[in-house]
Amino acid sequence: MEFIKKLQDLDRRWIYLIIALAITIPLLIPFNAPTYTTGPTETLYQMVDSYENREDRAILICFAHDASTMAELYPMEVAILRHCFERKVKVFTLTFLPTAAPLVNYAIDMVKSEYPDVQSGVDYINIGYKPAALYLPIVVGMGDGIAEAVKTDAEGRKLETLPMMKGLNNYNELRLVIETSGASYAMGWVTWARSRFGVNVAAGVTAVMAADAYPYLQTGQLSGMLSGMKGAAEYEYLTDVFAAYQSPDYPNGRPFSKELLKDQDVIDSIDISKDWDPETKTGIMYKWKTARLGMNAQSVAHMVIFLFILIGNIGYFAERYQQNKAKK
Amino acid sequence: MKKQIPLFIVIVLSFLFAAWAVVPHKISEEFYQGYLVFVRAMSPFGVILGIMSITMVNTVRIKRKVPNWQYSYVTLIAVYATAAIGFIWGTSEGSPYIWIFKNVQMPMSATMFSLLAFYISTAAYKAFRARSAEATVLLIAAIIVMLGQVPYGVMISPKIPGFAQWILDVPNLASKRGFMLGVGLGMTAVSLKIMLGIERAYLGGGD
Repeated sequence: MEFIKKLQDLDRRWIYLIIALAITIPLLIPFNAPTYTTGPTETLYQMVDSYENREDRAILICFAHDASTMAELYPMEVAILRHCFERKVKVFTLTFLPTAAPLVNYAIDMVKSEYPDVQSGVDYINIGYKPAALYLPIVVGMGDGIAEAVKTDAEGRKLETLPMMKGLNNYNELRLVIETSGASYAMGWVTWARSRFGVNVAAGVTAVMAADAYPYLQTGQLSGMLSGMKGAAEYEYLTDVFAAYQSPDYPNGRPFSKELLKDQDVIDSIDISKDWDPETKTGIMYKWKTARLGMNAQSVAHMVIFLFILIGNIGYFAERYQQNKAKK
Repeated sequence: MKKQIPLFIVIVLSFLFAAWAVVPHKISEEFYQGYLVFVRAMSPFGVILGIMSITMVNTVRIKRKVPNWQYSYVTLIAVYATAAIGFIWGTSEGSPYIWIFKNVQMPMSATMFSLLAFYISTAAYKAFRARSAEATVLLIAAIIVMLGQVPYGVMISPKIPGFAQWILDVPNLASKRGFMLGVGLGMTAVSLKIMLGIERAYLGGGD
């Protein structure tokens, strides 16, 4: 009983220490936890996939977060960009937050370094930072004309002069907007771009905000959703299994298949605990598996919190039992 | 006049924008194109106003020596130094501005957000108790959703992710939708009151 009492009065610094260890140890010693994909992630992945090699289709990634939520959202952006570059899907990047502008550059530079053929203005256009005051004019204006609404890209080039814009006019071609955010910002795209122009909108949100997005997902106003670190890990995994897959039979990746996701050989072939070996070209590069490594830490932390709740409640009921017994 | 003119602008423009949203006419489109030009011209003034505001608020705090006035110096120095560095050396990769972003802004933001994990775990240990039937339901739902988010949930039972998804899709959705409908109706009511000039609190001060 004394032990339970002591547990109940445990100094919070011990809890901090345990949670710090639960997060850092799995990051330092990676292990290969399985990744299970969910419907909203698969839908988004397939939608991006369907624009493969299309000159008249493009997607837009809107970075609506700063560095605070980077741990959850940045791996999503990297995974989506990688998918686009693998499948040769035209992509625009944009942000309305000044603190997100460098993050857009990091994400593009990080992914582009592995794809030397990918060119700015040809395969992707970084619109960069636009003031939040221009949010509505840009979101609505792109329905009439992308080049008229945003005028210039991050490098100051006129959009209409860029080769990628050939065949891309408005939301008839820019069919998918993905907003990554720690808030409900994607709702602005739903309200203005989807309701007026029928563009598909998907969201990448932090786990705490995911519950807010479910009503929009169920109605189909959101075409897909990546929920927190788990969503990012799922997207990374799908890109590894399909778009980035290399074999003599599939030199440019293989098509999405639900059956393959259940195939034990496929599951076993993806091992995030092994480092990338440039000589044998096996394993997965660190930058393509950050969310899955993060999920290791999150998994252990969730289990620790679960144990905390359990121990806390055992102590609570034991104490209550003692108090009731003393009263009698 | 100080209040009548802004009130007049708000009432007129709110009706014009409401009409623009539902009337796909040439005149309404021309009105919107005019608005776009105006907004582009106006946004830099918004930034200037913001800088003026932050400077005035913090200068007053320093002058009056209000509690924690020293932090106002930090704010002002950070605002002006970062802006000056950006103006002088640019904001491209490798510039001092990006160095500040990488080494100050990013770690500070990430640290503030990651503190949440520590608070959640302390709260889980110290406060998340099955004190009543409602608290027990909340507790069980939280545990299932939490386990459903990680691979260990599947290892404990393959049914956990499905059940977690059901909690998100059904009870969560029902309550969220009710909440959102309430908020939506409230927003509509407040918007109407503003459009009709009944609600004037946004003008500041009492009337």
